[in-house]
Amino acid sequence: MDLENQINCERKRFNKLLNFRLPHRFMTIGVVIVLLSIALMFVRAFVLEGDTLWLKQLLQKTMLVGMLVMSMSKDKIEDEMTHSLRAQSYAIAFVIGVVYALIMPYVEFGVSNVVHSGGEAFKDLGDFQVLLFMLMIQLMFYHNLKRYR
Amino acid sequence: MKNTIKVERAILSLTQDDLAKKIGVSRQTINSIEANRYVPSTVLALKLSEVFKKPVNDFFKLSSDD
Repeated sequence: MDLENQINCERKRFNKLLNFRLPHRFMTIGVVIVLLSIALMFVRAFVLEGDTLWLKQLLQKTMLVGMLVMSMSKDKIEDEMTHSLRAQSYAIAFVIGVVYALIMPYVEFGVSNVVHSGGEAFKDLGDFQVLLFMLMIQLMFYHNLKRYR
Repeated sequence: MKNTIKVERAILSLTQDDLAKKIGVSRQTINSIEANRYVPSTVLALKLSEVFKKPVNDFFKLSSDD
């Protein structure tokens, strides 16, 4: 295989990866996973007793997986406009997610110290909080961009 | 960019849904193109040209702000 063929082959593989989407039925599967995770989070918080931190962390992960599945599933009719809107929503989610991760720890610190004197110590956001926020922004913006197209 | 897709569609008595099915996009995409909210790709423009049996320049025109 000469160099040009190799580059073309890599380009095709890269494009295939970029255009990868799950079939439309995965949207329903994603919604079910997210709703189940939320329901089980409530059960863990109000019904279960004992050390269930592992369950909390597991449910956080399943919730993120569910939202990722929703985010990656195709629409009923997928065309170039939906591709463009999806790309816009990912770009917006990325920018807002970075700003949120930079600003939110200071906001939390400030608010907790205003409400209770000598409130919480300064701490960075966890990965779950940032990823959940970014996925929520992406899904929300994509939905709204489609509504107002 | 301005376009006269609505007129071309009316000449062929096609609804937005009919045209969308012919070129493999959603009805909302045709609506957005007609309202000048979305500029289609060359591929889509050529598909429209095939349906209307006219060159792309006949129904897409550059506007002064392009």
